Amino acid sequence: MLSENKNPTINHNPGHVKHDGHNMTGFIIFLCSESIIFFAFFVGYGILKVTAPVWYPEGIDGIAVKEPLINTVILVSSSFVIYFAEKSLHKKNLWGFRSIWFITMLMGSYFVYGQYIEWSELSFSLQSGVFGGMFYLLTGFHGLHVITGILLMGLMLYRSFLPNNYQRGEMGVESVSLFWHFVDVIWIILFVLIYLWQ
Amino acid sequence: MTIINYDQRLVKSKNPYPRGPNDWKRFFSFNTDAKVIGIQYIVTALFFLLLGGLLGMLVRGELITPPSDLFDPTVYNGLYTMHGTVMLFLFLFPMLSGLTNLLVPPMIGAPDMAFPKLNALAFWLVPVFSIILLLSFFVPGGPASSGWWSYPPISIQNPLGKMINGEMLWITAISLSGISSIMGAVNFVTTIIRMRAPGMGFFKMPIFIWTVLAAQLLQLLGLPALTGGAIMLFFDLSFGTSFFRIEGGGDPVLFQHFFWFYSHPAVYVMVLPVFGIFSELFPVYARKPLFGYKFVAVASFGITILSLVVWVHHMFYTGTPMWMRNLFMFTTMLIAVPTGVKVFAWIATLWGGNLRLSTPMLFCLGGLFNFIFGGITGVMLATVPVDIHVGNTYFVVAHFHYIIFNTIAFGIFAGIYHWFPKFTGRMFYEGLGKVHFALTFVGATLNWLPLHWAGLLGMPRRVASYDPEFAIWNVIASIGAFILGVASIPFILNMVSSWVRGKAAPPNPWRAIGLEWLLPSPPPHENFEDDIPTVLNEPYCYGLDKPFVQDEQFYIDKSFKKH
Amino acid sequence: MNTKIKKNNSKKYLTIFIIISAVCINSLISLLMGYWSYNWLPVQASEAANYVDNLFAFETTIGTFIFLGCTGTMAWILIFNRAPKYDESNGAPIEGNVKLEVIWTIIPLILVLAIATFATKVNYKLENLGSKTKYNFGEEAPFIEEKKPFDFGPIDVISRQWNWEFIYPNGIHSSELHLPINKRTNFRLITDDVIHSFYIPAFRLKQDIIPGSVITYSLTPIRKGVFRLRDAMFSGAYFSQNQTNVIVESEDVFNKWISETVKKELQNGLNPAGRLYDKRLKNGNRGWATVEPAPAPKVQDVGLEDRPHDG
Repeated sequence: MLSENKNPTINHNPGHVKHDGHNMTGFIIFLCSESIIFFAFFVGYGILKVTAPVWYPEGIDGIAVKEPLINTVILVSSSFVIYFAEKSLHKKNLWGFRSIWFITMLMGSYFVYGQYIEWSELSFSLQSGVFGGMFYLLTGFHGLHVITGILLMGLMLYRSFLPNNYQRGEMGVESVSLFWHFVDVIWIILFVLIYLWQ
Repeated sequence: MTIINYDQRLVKSKNPYPRGPNDWKRFFSFNTDAKVIGIQYIVTALFFLLLGGLLGMLVRGELITPPSDLFDPTVYNGLYTMHGTVMLFLFLFPMLSGLTNLLVPPMIGAPDMAFPKLNALAFWLVPVFSIILLLSFFVPGGPASSGWWSYPPISIQNPLGKMINGEMLWITAISLSGISSIMGAVNFVTTIIRMRAPGMGFFKMPIFIWTVLAAQLLQLLGLPALTGGAIMLFFDLSFGTSFFRIEGGGDPVLFQHFFWFYSHPAVYVMVLPVFGIFSELFPVYARKPLFGYKFVAVASFGITILSLVVWVHHMFYTGTPMWMRNLFMFTTMLIAVPTGVKVFAWIATLWGGNLRLSTPMLFCLGGLFNFIFGGITGVMLATVPVDIHVGNTYFVVAHFHYIIFNTIAFGIFAGIYHWFPKFTGRMFYEGLGKVHFALTFVGATLNWLPLHWAGLLGMPRRVASYDPEFAIWNVIASIGAFILGVASIPFILNMVSSWVRGKAAPPNPWRAIGLEWLLPSPPPHENFEDDIPTVLNEPYCYGLDKPFVQDEQFYIDKSFKKH
Repeated sequence: MNTKIKKNNSKKYLTIFIIISAVCINSLISLLMGYWSYNWLPVQASEAANYVDNLFAFETTIGTFIFLGCTGTMAWILIFNRAPKYDESNGAPIEGNVKLEVIWTIIPLILVLAIATFATKVNYKLENLGSKTKYNFGEEAPFIEEKKPFDFGPIDVISRQWNWEFIYPNGIHSSELHLPINKRTNFRLITDDVIHSFYIPAFRLKQDIIPGSVITYSLTPIRKGVFRLRDAMFSGAYFSQNQTNVIVESEDVFNKWISETVKKELQNGLNPAGRLYDKRLKNGNRGWATVEPAPAPKVQDVGLEDRPHDG
C-alpha cells in the first residue's frame, strides 16, 4: 500500500474540532437542568398549598407584597441594564461596559438587601409549618443564586481589566448575563407563586 | 512525499508510551484525559461492586434462615440499605460514567470530552462522596437504615437526635453524587452534540452514542427533582422543617413523588447504555448488520420520553387515588413497545448470523435472555391489581435484580471484556472469561429466580426475619449469592493478570467496524487528534458494500504503527 | 428442474411445519403455565383474589409465550448459526425489514393495551379503595362517609412501630383481626408514626397507611381460616415483627367472639417487637440506632403469636 505517501491532511478537515467553542452550549444545558430543581420546588409549593390541612402558621394569614414588589421591579429592571452593559462590550466600549455592569451589581445587591430586610421583619421562621419551610427554602435558594450572580459579575468585572482578554472575557460576560436573566425569570415565577397567589 | 521521522502523536502526548515506566501514576492524579478518567471510574466502580457484593452476601447470610439470628435487626437494616446505595451510586453510576468516558470520544472521533477539567472534577467527587457514605458506618447510631429510598417519616426519625448521623451523611453523599452526575451529563451531551467526526450525522452514530445521549438527557431532566427532594429531606432531618413531617402539616407522599420522578428515569439511565452495548456487540459477534438501525435508534428516545411519565407505578398502593393508578398503568405499559423493538431487533440481528461465542458475546446472550424474563415480570408489575399483591414483596426484588444484575451487570461485563483489548492494549484470558460467565449465570439465576415465588406467596421485602414457609426459596437464593461471590474471583484474576502480562492486543482483535477500532490499542492521548476520518455509513455494515469511512485502509494501516 | 422446485417446495413446507408446530407447542406450554400459576399464589380468601389471580394467569400465559418464542428462536440460532472454528466470514447481510418492524411494534402495542384494559376492569371490580383524608397531627382521625355501602365496620386499624391494634365499632380492642365471612367490611387505616402497609397476601390486597391521613378501605373475605397480615412497608428496626393474623369465621362464631370479648379486661396485646427490644437492652443495647417500640396495645383479645395460618 502506498499509505506512507499520503499526507494525512489531504482528504480531511484538519483541526476543525475546537476545544473552546462549546462553553456556551454546556452552560445552556446546565441552566436547563438547574431550572428543573426550581421547577420541582414550585410544584412542591403548589401541591402543599393546595393539600395541606394547615397552610399558614399560627397567627399569619398572608405576607406583605409592597416591598417585595419594589424589589421585583429593581431586579427585573437590572436585566435590561445588564443588556445595555453587554451592548457596550460588543461595541468595545470597555469603560461603558464596566460602569453599567457595576450598576447591575448594585441593583442585584439592593435586591439581596431587600430580601434580608423582609426576612428579618417576618414573624414566622423556617420551622413554622409547611408555609414557613417552603417560603424560606424558595426565597433562600433564589437569593443564593442572586448572590452567586453578583459574585460572578464581580469576577467578570475584574477580568475586564486584564489586558488582551477580550475574546475570553466576552464569552464569560454572555454566560453571566444569561445566568442573570435566568435568575430573573425564576424570581418572576416565584413572586407570582408566593406573593400574588395568596 | 512527506517523510515523517518521528511519530506526531509521540510529540503531543503527555505520556508518550502508555505502557512505559512511571505511567501508573496518572491514574491517581487529576488527569484530564477521558481515557484515564474512564479507567479511574471503572476501577473505582469495580472495587465498590465487590464491597456492595459483600454487603449483599451478608444480607443473604441473614436470610438463609427464617429467624433474625445473624445480626441485630438494626444492623441488618443498615446493611441492606448500604448494599443498595453502594451498588447504585458507587458501582453502577460510576461504572456507566466510566464506560461512557472511555467510549464516547473515540467512537465519535473526538480527541477528548468537551470539558476535560470538568470531567476530571466529576470523577474526583466520587472518592469524596464514597468516603462520606462509608464513614456513616462509624458514626453513632450507624449508617442510614431506611432503604435506598429513604422515605420519610422513617428516614428522618433520627433516634439519637444527633446532628451528624448516618442519614445526614447519606443525603450529603447522594447529593454530591447527583452533582457529579450532572457535571458528567452536561459534558457528555455537549460532546455528542458538538464534537462528532465529519460526516457523522445523527443517523450514522453508533447506537451506544444514541443510548448515552438518551440516558444523559434523562440525568439532566430528572436529577434536579431528586436533588430538590433531597434538600427538603435534609432540611426536615437537620433543621426541623416540615415538608414531609406530619407534625408540621407536611406530606410524606410528596417525597415519594420527588424521589420517583428521578429514580424511575434513573433505571433507564442505567439500562440504556447497556442496551447500547448489546446493539454494538451483537453485530460484531454475529457478523451481521444491526437489524433496523434507525428503529433501534429512535426507540432509545421513545424510551427516554416515556420514562418521564411513569413514576407513579412505584406508588400504586402507597396513597394515590385510583385515577392516577390507572393513568400511570397505561403509560407504563407503553414503554414495553420501544423496548420490545430493541429486543426483537437484537434477535433478528442474530438470525442468519455467523456466531462466535466469545466471552463478551456470552454475556450479551445471557443478558438478553435474562432481560426478556425480567421485562415480562416488569409488565406484570405494571398492572395495578397484580402490583397491589406483589408490590413491596420479593417479587419486586427479584424483578429488579433481574434487570440490574442479570441484564445491566451482564452487559457491563460484556462491554468490559469487549473493549478491554482496545483500552489496555492487552488481550484477556478467554478461558477465565468463560468460567466467569458460567459461574455468574448460574449464581445469578439461583439467586433471583426462586425469589419470584417467595414474593408471590407474600414474603415482604427488607425483612430480617420471615415466616418459615418461605425458607426453601431463601436457601436456594443464598446459595446463588455465594456462587456469585465466588464468580468474582476469575473476573478479578483475569483483569489484573491480563493487564499486567496479557498478550499484546492488535488494533482490531474482533474485526469490528467502528471508529475506536481504527485506533491503535491503546489509543494515543488525543485519539485521532486532527486527522479525523470522514464517516460515510453507520458502523454495522457487515457483508454489505457500504464502506465505513473514507480512506479506510489508510487508517487501518496507521493503527498498526505502534509507538 | 422439477426436482429443484420440489426440493424448494418441500423446504418451504418443512419450514411452515416447523413454525406451526413450534407455535402450537409454545401455546400449549404457555396455557399450562397459566393454569399452574394459580398454585404459585396463596389460597383465594377474598372476593378480589380470584380476579387478581385470573389477571396474573393471563399475564403468565402471554409472558410464557413471548419468553419461549424469543428464547426458542435464540436457541435455534445458537444451534444452527454457530461459526465453525476458524471461520470469520460474515453472516447474511440483512439490514432490516420495515414491514417486520411495523408488525412487532403494532402487535405488542395492542397486546399491552389489552392487558392494561383488562387490569383496569379488575381495578373496578376490586372496589376496595376509599378516600384518603388528611387531618392535623394530634387530632382525632375524622369520620369519613363511605360511598359504597358496607356490611360491617368501620374497624379502626392502627399500625405502630411495631404492632397492630384493631378497634371494633362496639369498642372492642384486639390484636388479631376477626372478620365475618362473606360480609363487605370497612376499615379506617390510621397510624401516628411512620408509613406502614396493610397487606394480607391471601386477600391479594395491600394499602399503605400514611401518617397524617386516614384512608378508608373495604374488602369481602370469602374463605374461613387464619391468614397472615403483614406490614409490607419498611417501618424500622423490628418491622419484620409487625405481623398479626386475620381470622375469618362464620357469622355465628364471629358474633360469639364479639359478645365474649367485649366483656374481657384490657391487657397487653401481641408485641413481639417489644420482647426482642427488651432482650437487646438486656444484652447491653448493642446494635445501631432505633426508636423505642411503641408499648403493647391495650386489648381485650390478646391473640396468639404462633397461631398456624393457611396463607
